[in-house]
Amino acid sequence: MGEASEGIKMMAAKSQEQVMALVDKLIATARPSAVYGEPVKSGNYTVITASEVTAAGGFGLGSGSYTGPMSPPLEAKETKNEGRPPQPGQEGEGGGGGGGGGGAFTGRPVAVITIGPAGVEVQPVVDPTKMALAFFTALGAMFMMWGRMRKASRG
Amino acid sequence: MAQPTDWIQWQTINGDPITVGDVTVTPQSQSLTVRWPFGGFVWNRPVAVLVERGGQTERIPIVDTTRMVQLGVLGFGLACAAMAFISLSRQRRDSHG
Repeated sequence: MGEASEGIKMMAAKSQEQVMALVDKLIATARPSAVYGEPVKSGNYTVITASEVTAAGGFGLGSGSYTGPMSPPLEAKETKNEGRPPQPGQEGEGGGGGGGGGGAFTGRPVAVITIGPAGVEVQPVVDPTKMALAFFTALGAMFMMWGRMRKASRG
Repeated sequence: MAQPTDWIQWQTINGDPITVGDVTVTPQSQSLTVRWPFGGFVWNRPVAVLVERGGQTERIPIVDTTRMVQLGVLGFGLACAAMAFISLSRQRRDSHG
């Protein structure tokens, strides 16, 4: 096997190692340390934030190599070397590779844990924007359904 | 040979305990991990804190109020849509019958 093919194989193996390292970092999000923040002390109180975390990622790699007879050379008149007869097909090699990937990471605060003289309190974090979005989405869907029902009942 | 449990994991994990005065708080989280070749998905959420004081341990659940309201509203909308669909189906059946 030629040097080019070996080089492509080595690059593919190295890329695969890097991708697996990235996936391992992604999976590390499953630990509690990704959800709970560092405690913050202020006077007699210690505050810890709690969040919901979602992470996803995917990668793809591809490579190929070729070793074999090359295509016949061009006719003499089509080359700059006019008058020289075409050479028989020679052994050659080639190859290529590519890859890509993507991912997403989201975080949303869920609660705040307060440790103080009165004890431990867990206070939920309420997001009115998300509630309003859910409400209007449901309302819009119900209106659409109602409109279709009216159309169907008339038809 | 890779087992399905290697691809999908649903687990509750205790974090590192935090001690403040005479109170020790251990955070608890729940995670869903889906792993496939060259990729993965992780959903991790807080579920409770374990409070240890004076030799007694109390579990305080963490309620995700925003998510509960979202699911409630969307669930109500789906229920209305389902009822409307059933009502329409019955009307059509009665009109054809």
